Amino acid sequence: MALACVEEVRFTYPGASAPALDGISVAIEPGEVVLLLGASGSGKSTLLRCLGGLVPHFHGGRFEGAVSVSGLDTRTHRPSELVGAVATVFQDPEDQVVLTRVRNEVAFGLENLGVPPAEIFPRVSAALDAVGAGHLQGRLVHELSGGELQRVCVASALALEPRLLLLDEPTSQLDPEGAELVLELARQRGLAVVVAEQRPAQVLELCDRALFLEAGRIVDGIPKAWTTEPDPPARRVAGALVASLRQAAFGGRLTPFDLDLRRGEIVAVVGPNGSGKTTLAKLAAGLVAPTSGVVHRQGRASYLPQDPGRYLVRERADEEVALGADLQRALAALRSVGLEGLEHRHPRDLSSGERERLALAAVLVTEPDLLVLDEPTRGVDPERKLRLAELLRRQSDDRATLVVSHDRSFVTAVADRVVSLASRVEALVA
Amino acid sequence: MSPGPAAALLAALGAAALLSHHAWTPAAICVVLLAVCLQAPWKRLRLYLLAVAIPAVTILVATPFVESIGWHVWWSGPVIPVLGRLDVTSEEVRNGATQALRLAAVMLAFLPYALLLDHDRLASGAGVFRRSALAVALATRLVPTLERDASGLLDALRGRGLEPRGARGWARIVSPLVAGSLERGLNLAESMEARGFGRPGRTRAPTPPWRAREYGALAAAALLVAGGVLWL
Repeated sequence: MALACVEEVRFTYPGASAPALDGISVAIEPGEVVLLLGASGSGKSTLLRCLGGLVPHFHGGRFEGAVSVSGLDTRTHRPSELVGAVATVFQDPEDQVVLTRVRNEVAFGLENLGVPPAEIFPRVSAALDAVGAGHLQGRLVHELSGGELQRVCVASALALEPRLLLLDEPTSQLDPEGAELVLELARQRGLAVVVAEQRPAQVLELCDRALFLEAGRIVDGIPKAWTTEPDPPARRVAGALVASLRQAAFGGRLTPFDLDLRRGEIVAVVGPNGSGKTTLAKLAAGLVAPTSGVVHRQGRASYLPQDPGRYLVRERADEEVALGADLQRALAALRSVGLEGLEHRHPRDLSSGERERLALAAVLVTEPDLLVLDEPTRGVDPERKLRLAELLRRQSDDRATLVVSHDRSFVTAVADRVVSLASRVEALVA
Repeated sequence: MSPGPAAALLAALGAAALLSHHAWTPAAICVVLLAVCLQAPWKRLRLYLLAVAIPAVTILVATPFVESIGWHVWWSGPVIPVLGRLDVTSEEVRNGATQALRLAAVMLAFLPYALLLDHDRLASGAGVFRRSALAVALATRLVPTLERDASGLLDALRGRGLEPRGARGWARIVSPLVAGSLERGLNLAESMEARGFGRPGRTRAPTPPWRAREYGALAAAALLVAGGVLWL
C-alpha cells in the first residue's frame, strides 16, 4: 500500500490566475526516493506542500482532489497533526529556524511531537551526528554558514523519525557530499523521500524514479539538458592580472590563501560548507579587508551575494538594474538573462529564480573588471544555467571572473580553473 | 543563571527605575545595567546603546522647554506664540534628567535580555505562556536579523558600486528590509506549522535545575519592586 497518495490534485494560490498544480496524481511507496524536476514555478514546491498538508491549510487557495499520507487525509488533518509521519526541509534554511541554539532548534520539533523529555537530547545528538553536524550542537544558529544551517534543518527533520521526508532543493545550500549523505541516510532508515531539485546531476543516481513537472502537470520524459553533464569549455589563455590575494586571511573564517585572477579567465571556487568560500569572494571583491596578508586589485569589482533576490531595492525590475547604468543598458542586461517582458514587474512579485536572474543582471550591467558571483545558480534550472554559463564565458574576455559554487555541472560548464578550498589544490578543468 | 529569574530581575530593575522618586535611583540602576551590558560583544552592543541614548538625550534636552515648573530660572529666552516664554529652570532640568534616566534604565534593562539571555530556555520554561514567550523571543531576534539583512543589503549594493548617501539613500533601504522581514515571518510561520507547533501534548526538553542564585534573583526582583514603591 502506498505511503502517500496524491489524487487528481488541482490547486490555485489565492489571487493567482493559473493553477500551480493542474490534475496531479502520484503515489509514493514506503522507502521510495522520488525526484521532482522542473523549472522555477513548475509546481515542485507546491506538490511538496500538498504532501506536508501546508496546501491548503497554511496557504489557503482553491484545492481540488485528495492527498493522503500514512492514511491521514490532508484535507481533514492539519500539518501539525501530520508531524511524525511527514517532515519537511524547506529551500531556505534561514527562514525555518525558530530558536537560537542548534541543539534547541533540533529539539523544537521533538518537543512539539510530545517525545518523552529523557529521549529528546539523545535523539538530537544522534540526528546531528548523522548529518555530520554533531560539532555544531552548542553553536548559535546565526553564526553558521548557509550550508551548516541546512544540515541543522535536515537534522531537525530526521530527528522526528518521519516515514516521508520532503526536501525542497536541498543542494541549493548543501555541498554535493552533504546532499548525497542526506539521501543515503534516508535509504538506510527506510524513509520515503520526495526531493525537488534544479541540480539533478547530484541526486539522480540516488533516486528510484524522477518526475518532470511543467506548468503544474507531470509530463513524460525529461529534457536532455536536465540529465546530461555539460561539456567543459575550450581552454583559453588568461590575460593580465586583475586581482591577486597573497596569504590573505580573515579571522578564523579563512586561513592564509593565495589566488590570482586574470582577465579572460573564469575561476571557480569549490569546497565544503563552512570552508570560507564566501569570505574569499568578499575579500576578492573588496567588501572586507583581510586580517592578514594582502589583496591587490586593478579596476572595478562587482559582487553578487548569495540569495541576491532578498537585496533588491527598487519597485520595478528595469529601475533596479538601471541603478548601475542607464536604462538602455539595463534593458539589454535584462534581455541577456531572459527577463524580457518583466521589466515593469515589482522584483518581489517575481519567482525566486527570476529574482536571482534580476540580481545577476543588476551586477552584469556594471561591466566590472572583476566579477565575483557567490552561488549564482541557486534556483536556476539546468537549461537556464547553461545559458548563464555561455553568457559569462562570452563576456569574460573583458574581465576576470570568480564564481563560488556547489553546482558541479555549472562549474564544469563555466570554469577555466577550479580552486578547492578543501584541498587547496588548483586543478585545471580538463 | 537560568534565564527566567534573570529576566525577572531585569524586569524588576526596570520597574524600580520607573517607580522611584529620586534621580539617583535610575542613575544607579543605569550604571549597574551598563556594567552587565558590557559583557555583550561591543559590535552588537553599540547599536543598542545608540538606540537607548537617542531618546534619553532627546527627553533630557526637550523637557525643560516643554515644561513650566520651578522658579530658579537658569536661562530666559524669547516669547514663542502658543508656547509662551521659553525659559529653563533648575527644576525643569532636574525633572528632565530624572525622566531621561528612567527611560534609559528601562531600555537598558532590555539590553541584557536581548543580548545575553538564552531565549530558547526562556521560551521553553514559560509553561502555559510559552506561545507568548516564543513570540517575544522571535520579536527580539528581529533586531539581529534586520541587522544581518541590512549588512547583506549594504554588501549587495556596494557589490554593484552603489553606496547609500544621505537620509533619502538610507531611507530607501528601509522598505526592502521591512518587506524582507515580512517574507521571513511568513516563511517561519509555515515552518513552525510544519514542525508541529501548536499540537497538543507537547513535552519539554530537560533543563538544569534551579540553584540558590536563581531563587536569590527572584527574591531580589520582588524586593526591588517593593523598594521602588516604598523607599527609592
